[in-house]
Amino acid sequence: MTLSTINITDRDHQIAKLSAIAVALSLVEFFFPSPIPGVKPGIANIIILYTIFKFDLRMGIWVSIIRVFVTSIILGSFLSPTFFLSLSGALFSLLSLIIFKNLSPKYFSLISFSLIASLAHIIGQFVIVRIWIIPHNGIFYLLPIFIVSAFIFGLVTALITNKLLQLNSKK
Amino acid sequence: MIKKILQSIKIIKVGDWFIIILFCALIIIITKLLWNLPQGEYLEIYKNNEILAVYSLNQKITKIINGEKGETKITIDNGKVRFSSAPCAKKYCIHQGWINKANQIIICIPNKISISISGGKKNYDSINY
Repeated sequence: MTLSTINITDRDHQIAKLSAIAVALSLVEFFFPSPIPGVKPGIANIIILYTIFKFDLRMGIWVSIIRVFVTSIILGSFLSPTFFLSLSGALFSLLSLIIFKNLSPKYFSLISFSLIASLAHIIGQFVIVRIWIIPHNGIFYLLPIFIVSAFIFGLVTALITNKLLQLNSKK
Repeated sequence: MIKKILQSIKIIKVGDWFIIILFCALIIIITKLLWNLPQGEYLEIYKNNEILAVYSLNQKITKIINGEKGETKITIDNGKVRFSSAPCAKKYCIHQGWINKANQIIICIPNKISISISGGKKNYDSINY
């Protein structure tokens, strides 16, 4: 009989802590009503962006996916349309970050990455909505609203994360 | 305060400006592409869901239509049209204001009068949506 043991590294602890903060922020966001239906600032993305720049992309991917699953289980929307919207948004964002990860940090700061990811997030959600939830071209009429909000919130998220990284490096 | 703003602008690098400008261009292109509905050409007036009359939008005139409850006045003003008076209680039809794009509609349910604009390319209306 063999005993299998799971080695829990510091890295795993780190991921767990960051995921917990991201989940908490998602829940806070859930309980605040949004002024425009469907437009959410996505404050949990601050943590994910922070993770990617403080540690690495792999860790960011873990935190992002864990956040999507845990938040949906807590809110009871697991495997519902809301969950798949959230998942596809997260996957598209991560995919875009993987594609663009080789952009030189000399010319591109995290603002670029944040904007690219927020655009990818909206595209991912619209793909799911168009294919599955509302299979009608009429939804594209709403696209400008969501793209403008993606731009604003992508920028704000990047600036907050930047501040957070600065504060952290001072210590 | 100004110093702080300048500091936060400093962290935006060359490539970031490039991405920001690209993003703004994308917003403008997509908005123009998706929100540019064709102008309408004709006004169709319906009573009890049956077409009553078709008028050109290129005129300045007020039509009086007799509906279920009374007289409805519909004003055409060179390319746009609105309900200017109606016998219904809530006046939703009047509060909708002017419409000018193809496939836009205004409906007055109490008086069973509705108008829609035709012409131009077919587009999505609020019912389809």
